[in-house]
Amino acid sequence: MKGLALPVAAAALLALGALVALEVLRPTPALSPAEQAQQIAALLRCPDCQALSVAESHTAAAGAIREQIGELLAQGRNADEIRQHFVDRYGEWILLAPSAAFAWWLPVAVVLAAVVGLLAWLLVGRRLRPAATEPSAAPPTTADRQRIRDEIERLDA
Amino acid sequence: MRLPPLRWVVLPILLVPLAWLLFTGLGRDPREIPSPLVGKPLPVLAGATLTGESFSSTSLLGTPFIVNAWASWCIPACVDEHPVLIDAATRYAGRLAVLGVLYQDTPDDARRFLVRYGDGGWPHLLDSSGRLAVELGVTGPPETFFVDADGIVIAKQIGPLTFETMAEYLADLGLSE
Repeated sequence: MKGLALPVAAAALLALGALVALEVLRPTPALSPAEQAQQIAALLRCPDCQALSVAESHTAAAGAIREQIGELLAQGRNADEIRQHFVDRYGEWILLAPSAAFAWWLPVAVVLAAVVGLLAWLLVGRRLRPAATEPSAAPPTTADRQRIRDEIERLDA
Repeated sequence: MRLPPLRWVVLPILLVPLAWLLFTGLGRDPREIPSPLVGKPLPVLAGATLTGESFSSTSLLGTPFIVNAWASWCIPACVDEHPVLIDAATRYAGRLAVLGVLYQDTPDDARRFLVRYGDGGWPHLLDSSGRLAVELGVTGPPETFFVDADGIVIAKQIGPLTFETMAEYLADLGLSE
């Protein structure tokens, strides 16, 4: 029974790897122009509303942008070129997702750094800290006891 | 040698960037949207005008000009700004041209606005499809573009112009008294 553990684990790992590879390598279905336009519009900010994408908004400006996306697609421009077309007019502001690559890996890097920092803090802190059983201070001396008594008497007075 | 406690290393690493983010973020005006058009040629704005003629911004090249995106429903900002535009157009007649671009407005409402608040006599493109507004990257009227004689956008103002800001922008165009 025990001898089976390794082959089973290896097979499971292989199967998982195959699934991942299938998912990654599977050709993405070709989108219709309308679906492509919808995808582009969903990542553009509607210029004359608050917190809505061009795809969701019914304002005239959003309509004009949707119409232009359709025209640009018909001219054979790809999604990146179309996004750039609007960035050239409105600025990066129009994009609902940042285009700078570092914006994507910065949060991951921060979380990793935090985890590493926390682990280091815990591990190093434990090693450096003196053993908990060690008394933290010497027992009170006679002078200390006398002083405590005096202080209490002064408070009671 | 005793190492400093780790927190004196970790805390600055976490707090310094946070403080920097807050500091720079608070100093920014959230309403200010820098226009990518500044420093670039103004896109060609062409179409039918309020008076029924066809007009193209290319005919304005040779003298500095102002492109003002406005709407009759833009109250009070466009109303407040209107005398400033009329003043500049009359003061610098022949040396400065003005072009209006209607933003999501009907011709009838725009005409009524001009009757009520004064018609400076410059052309207004209708832009019923909203295409010109997209070309200019207009997010809400009033927005004004200052364009030099070569057709390069020198500055963009979002929100109403005052006599003072208008004078500053016109000075940038080489127009002052």
